[in-house]
Amino acid sequence: MSFFGFDTSLPRDRGHPAMAPGFSQATDHFAGLSNADDDDDDGIDFEDTYDGLGDKLDEKDDAFNDETFGAPEEAIGKDFDFHGATARVADAMEEEHEVFNRSARNQSVARVAAAPTQPARVEPPTHVPVLRPDMSLWGSGPATTPQPEPQPDPTPVVPPVGRKILSLEEVEAQILANNEQKHQSSFQQPPAQAHQLPPQHQHTPPIVTPQLHQYPPPQHDLHQLQSQQFPARIQSMLQRNQTPPQVQHRQIPEQHPGGVPLQQQRMQPVAQPLHPSRNQYGMTNHVPTPQLQKMTEAEKARFLEEESKRLKRNHKIAQLARYNGLMTPADKNFITRIQLQHLVSINNAEDNANEDFYYIVHSAIRARTNPQQPLNQFAQTYLFRQSARGRNRQQDNHLQRMEQQVQRAVAAAKARPKASQLVLEGSLGKISFSNVKTPRPMLNIKKSDTSGGEPIRRTQRSTFSSADRKSLLRAIENVYDALLELEVHERERAKLPILMPDQQPQQAHVEWSTRRDQLVAKLWKETKIMEPIDPMSTATHPFIAILSYSKMKRAVQRIFRHLDPEQRVTVLTMIVVHLDILDVVKHGVYLPDETQLPSAVREEIEMFAASVLPPLLGYVYEAPLSIVIGLLGILLERVDVVAVSKTKIGLAFLTMFSSRAEIVKQAGGAPENELQQWQMMYDRLFDSLQGHWMECFPPGMFVDDVYVWQFLASIAVGANMPQQQALVSAVKDRVMENVRASKTLPPELGAQKSANVNLFMRAIGLDVELLG
Amino acid sequence: MLFFSFFKTLVDHEVTIELKNDLSIRGTLKSVDQFLNIKLDDIMVLEEAKYPHLAAVRNVFIRGSVVRYVHLPAGAVDTALLEDATRREASNAAAAKGR
Repeated sequence: MSFFGFDTSLPRDRGHPAMAPGFSQATDHFAGLSNADDDDDDGIDFEDTYDGLGDKLDEKDDAFNDETFGAPEEAIGKDFDFHGATARVADAMEEEHEVFNRSARNQSVARVAAAPTQPARVEPPTHVPVLRPDMSLWGSGPATTPQPEPQPDPTPVVPPVGRKILSLEEVEAQILANNEQKHQSSFQQPPAQAHQLPPQHQHTPPIVTPQLHQYPPPQHDLHQLQSQQFPARIQSMLQRNQTPPQVQHRQIPEQHPGGVPLQQQRMQPVAQPLHPSRNQYGMTNHVPTPQLQKMTEAEKARFLEEESKRLKRNHKIAQLARYNGLMTPADKNFITRIQLQHLVSINNAEDNANEDFYYIVHSAIRARTNPQQPLNQFAQTYLFRQSARGRNRQQDNHLQRMEQQVQRAVAAAKARPKASQLVLEGSLGKISFSNVKTPRPMLNIKKSDTSGGEPIRRTQRSTFSSADRKSLLRAIENVYDALLELEVHERERAKLPILMPDQQPQQAHVEWSTRRDQLVAKLWKETKIMEPIDPMSTATHPFIAILSYSKMKRAVQRIFRHLDPEQRVTVLTMIVVHLDILDVVKHGVYLPDETQLPSAVREEIEMFAASVLPPLLGYVYEAPLSIVIGLLGILLERVDVVAVSKTKIGLAFLTMFSSRAEIVKQAGGAPENELQQWQMMYDRLFDSLQGHWMECFPPGMFVDDVYVWQFLASIAVGANMPQQQALVSAVKDRVMENVRASKTLPPELGAQKSANVNLFMRAIGLDVELLG
Repeated sequence: MLFFSFFKTLVDHEVTIELKNDLSIRGTLKSVDQFLNIKLDDIMVLEEAKYPHLAAVRNVFIRGSVVRYVHLPAGAVDTALLEDATRREASNAAAAKGR
């Protein structure tokens, strides 16, 4: 604080130059609060500058004072007693004291006596200020009435001449009258003012009312003066007389423009003696006691609640205010633009399915497997998260308005025609602007559309027999494109209105199913399965050719889902017919010196077993016997069965047919002629494999041969007595070998091996245990 | 948009980000935007001894342009779906070009 009341704050202490050009003046709402806690910056306080040397003095070492100062103790004169001298001289002051002591009668008598010469400028008694009972006297008083040190007044105040001195009785009467008047008028005051006035000088700790004291600049000097010259009581009275301008300034801090902090900083020290319980944000703990006293219990409770709410709110604001002014309006605009761009792209529904395909489908799958986690759109999370949380109606209103604004802005941005490219004269390509989807601008080089690539590819596609790898891959991609289109369309079924079983399908349903049929037909065509089979040609059938790629193998399962039974049997027939040239069969035969297939082939075989076989198996296990007979007939007729039986996949097909037929046979109900036909087929199969049973086994002792045992079991079940004997004598060595090996192997592997053998043994009515 | 779409599904999964300055950070992916800027939480620097100044850092925002690799959690990636999404992207691009 400045002693002479000058503004000692340095420019750098005045905070952010809120009025400077380029800075927002609207953003500084809470600047007053944010600067309130460093109110010591503006001046020099005694406590801050005192170096503490005085504390180091040793007060006890007075023994040699005589020697040092050369004077006996009795000889000390009184000429340094300025205080006493002043008291004796200033007769006029006595009068002032009298008036002062009366007006401030609720000050302790002791204090008046202790400071008999307290100088004070007193208001003319003609308008004795309204006095109110000071609650501090009844409660925790003394702390709130600071004791200013009596000090010689550099500018003694001369009382007005000819002024009438009031007696105690007169003063009291005046106060009473004044009080009554005030009381009446207080009802006509606007509630806010009535509410805020009393707390000014009434202090009782239990209830806290945050209030910010900000005084208009013109009052500054006056306050400085007052704080030095007058005791707190008088000062508070003076202040009350100045309340109208104050009220105007003590509103919610938001209404102050950026200039406030400066004033406030300067005013803080002045207000200090009045508000010792000021907190760091310049808020004081107040109680509007008289009002509180007038209230009923319920009102009181409500009032207190409101007060605490307000305190909380102010605290929050003050905390947030730390980050005020970090961004300029330009920064904010920039960010808003980015966010809007983002929202535009997010809300673009039809683009969404295309652009955000992975996210949407992935979340749909996850939502299906984990129903607890609802599928939520990013935009919804972005916009509605807060409104779900906010219970405050006013807050909701704001959010709603914001949502509406965002929606409007998004609509406007969408409506605006987008120029996505710029063609400069003489440039080689187009310069495309960055947007949300393509954040990096890129240069689009013009390409002439009349390149020779397209026609060539088209001719290749038409003559598919001479297909090269590239066109095969292209064909697979076409299958996938058709498949994806169909799947998206299937997903749209959910959007259709739900039909009751007896209801006529609506227009939408009809359209949907026609479109579906179209897409299925397209997919069917893309698989190239209907290309005619030319037995004379050396070229592979296109379907078999593309099936040699694992990409296509993976697709089979998905394609199968959309096919009708007739199409399914077509697929199955196509594969069976070409079983020996199927890549997994052709490459699945072990060469004489091989104990293991190349890893690429093994992967293909596994892929085939995992993706292609299951749907085929699923179909065959529900197929009627006639189809099984027919398929096996084709197989025996067109394919080298012995070669096929040497491979895992080939055996899988044979197992599939024989076990299905056996199941139908045992279930009964199959027509007699079909059973006879099947028996013929079976005999043919058995005869062709006779003598080659051992070749079914993969080379090596410790390989996975369970599929062979499965096949043998399925054959043995349907075999007659001589066939069984032939079979057993053929594989007897292998059985014995396996049983022996199972005993030397670790228990787990051994058990596995004997269980495999047992598959076959059980089929012929034996058991491994019987072999000892 | 494919990668953006893809990385969005990895939110709340643990990923390892390898930056172009050879710093590797493992953490929980909190958010990603169309620039593939990345926000990580509960981070851990793989070579802690080499970068002691990052020992106390708990979360980071990584500018997309400084990322060299993102190590993905294999379990959270649906490769078949990713292939399909790539096909969609390609067909979209083709459609956009034709337009």
